[in-house]
Amino acid sequence: MSERYSFSLTTFSPSGKLVQIEYALAAVGAGSPSVGIKACNGVVLATEKKHKSVLFDENSIHKVDMVTKNIGMTYSGIGPDYRVLLRSARKLAQQYYLMYEEQIPTAQLVQRVANVMQEYTQQGGVRPFGVSLLMAGWDEDGGHPFLYQCDPSGAYFAWKATALGKNFVNGKTFLEKRYSDDLELEDAVHTAILTLKESFEGQMTEHNIEIGICNQDGFRRLSPAEVKDYLASIV
Amino acid sequence: MSIMAYNGAAIVAMKGKECVAIASDRRFGIQAQTVGMDFQKIFEMGPHLYIGLPGLATDVQTVAQRLKFRLNLYELKENRQIRPKTLMSVVANLLYERRFGPYFVEPVIAGLDNKTAEPYIAALDLIGCPMATDDFVVSGTCTEQLYGMCESLWQPDMDADALFECISQSLMNAVDRDAVSGWGAVVTLIEKDKVTTRTLKARMD
Amino acid sequence: MALADVCKLNLGNKSYAFPNPADIDGGFSSLRTELNTSEQFAVPYNFDPVQSFAPFADGAGNDVKIQFNHGTTTLAFKFKDGVIVAVDSRATAGSWIASQTVKKVIEINPYLLGTMAGGAADCSYWERVLAKQCRIYELRNKERISVAAASKLLANIVYNYKGMGLSMGTMICGWDKKGPGLYYVDSDGTRLTNDMFSVGSGSTYAYGVLDSGVRYNMTPKEAYDVAQRAIYHATHRDAYSGGVVNLYHMKETGWVKVSQIDVLDLHYRYAQEKK
Repeated sequence: MSERYSFSLTTFSPSGKLVQIEYALAAVGAGSPSVGIKACNGVVLATEKKHKSVLFDENSIHKVDMVTKNIGMTYSGIGPDYRVLLRSARKLAQQYYLMYEEQIPTAQLVQRVANVMQEYTQQGGVRPFGVSLLMAGWDEDGGHPFLYQCDPSGAYFAWKATALGKNFVNGKTFLEKRYSDDLELEDAVHTAILTLKESFEGQMTEHNIEIGICNQDGFRRLSPAEVKDYLASIV
Repeated sequence: MSIMAYNGAAIVAMKGKECVAIASDRRFGIQAQTVGMDFQKIFEMGPHLYIGLPGLATDVQTVAQRLKFRLNLYELKENRQIRPKTLMSVVANLLYERRFGPYFVEPVIAGLDNKTAEPYIAALDLIGCPMATDDFVVSGTCTEQLYGMCESLWQPDMDADALFECISQSLMNAVDRDAVSGWGAVVTLIEKDKVTTRTLKARMD
Repeated sequence: MALADVCKLNLGNKSYAFPNPADIDGGFSSLRTELNTSEQFAVPYNFDPVQSFAPFADGAGNDVKIQFNHGTTTLAFKFKDGVIVAVDSRATAGSWIASQTVKKVIEINPYLLGTMAGGAADCSYWERVLAKQCRIYELRNKERISVAAASKLLANIVYNYKGMGLSMGTMICGWDKKGPGLYYVDSDGTRLTNDMFSVGSGSTYAYGVLDSGVRYNMTPKEAYDVAQRAIYHATHRDAYSGGVVNLYHMKETGWVKVSQIDVLDLHYRYAQEKK
């Protein structure tokens, strides 16, 4: 039955669903896990970066990226789709800066990226993005941390902490137990690693996870050496 | 005859201590003929933010409306008031978008920062080159006269009363040496917790 | 020592309408006519003023235009008790207000007044020349010159310079044997007489007030008021008119200056009356 409504993504099924978007969410759910936690003095993004072969040069590809100097993002889902969104996000941020000579507020960037994602659910000849984004930001004038999730439908949510991708339900349950409002960024990084560890298969090393932090100094991807230190303190 | 002087105008903005002021004349003329004496050239862009638009009257109104349009969208989208410096960027962009067929206005911006209450003044040319200063900015058909008055009357750290007196005297005496501006004046004084607008008794020739 | 010696001027005995080019050597010799000049001007060698000044006079296709103080409001009208003359006092150069205190009524002699519109230098210079001629007429004929003759004298002088860029629109007002006289003379050579004139960029506004306010049988007081109002309204609407209203009354006994009043005061007085 549902196959009849999956030719065009712009066609609703009789029950009011756009099944292509549901398939896109399924792609996200099958993707490698990622975690975001908002602490009182910053935000952490963490994601699993497993490689299919030991022959990969594991430092050549990144899954946590800077959008502006105070906003970064990661994802769960289809890697190439993410790159397209990263490019748009960076461009949108620079367009904002050109217009206002002011860094784009995180909420604004999320909204605009979400708009792009929504357009890919209504336009002809395109398919929705197979990714959900996690965006972390620290606003210049507000002095507050932000954590947002952005879905293929164009829906976006602000979180204190959340998990995406494979086993995200377990990840969220874990976070619900571990989260507190007065969490410090350092502890948040630990918690993020532990959350990933919940469903991690095999040995977790500084080369198969990636972490980004965002605080008043801006957004920064942690170097493998820094990640290694965090891992050492956990085990 | 320059199209910038077709209708005649004089606008000045000044910084004081924890306050700013912006003042304009009220004439609307068609070259030598004075048609109106209550023409609005200063527009409110926020609770502590004003823009003065001297130049071709039709463009004054168009730019004011298009700016308000962009500003309303900004406030809805971002759910906050625009900062003076950001408004300056919006104006600069609006004007530069017409680089090869410009609006004939040279705006003056005066305001206090929403958060810090820092005074801000700036002037732009007709294609959007901004110039922010620490003392005063002038624009219109009698800038030489205004500069002369401001250079001699302005001093740093004036309180609101002194600033009002200074900007009023500067404007009134400048327009009295310009044939195509004057016919009344309006001064807006912007303080952190109060905005005062007064019209001045002026020469009507 | 005579003044000419003090100034080291070599005056010579003759004056030349157009000095010998050989004398124009950039030294004092070209200034020989300085102390007895009237209508003779040094002109560059091989120079035709009419042709050479044409582009400056009409301003067509040229950035430079020799026209100063074009904005003005002046008026004069006859009524039963003589002639009323009223003028504004603004001088402009482009939109720059050069002065708010110009005397635009030129007191030629106790029975003649001239008004000033157009080039300030042209008006004041040629009306000074006119004053000289009128005085010479008086000395030669033992009686005052008529307004008609005086105005014709001026018209003839400026006609000689037609096309050379003179700019003046003047009203010659006086009182002679025939009674009050009023003539309009301009740099094109036009010379007209009538009961009422207004000249300058603000003249249209002044005419509006005069046409609805002037009656022949007015009292002097009424006449002063309407003249003052006419100038005021012109200064109000015309950017190039302003300052003060200078008001003169030409009577059988000669002119009297009635008043000088700032239009600022008039504006708020009239505004009060409206309420």
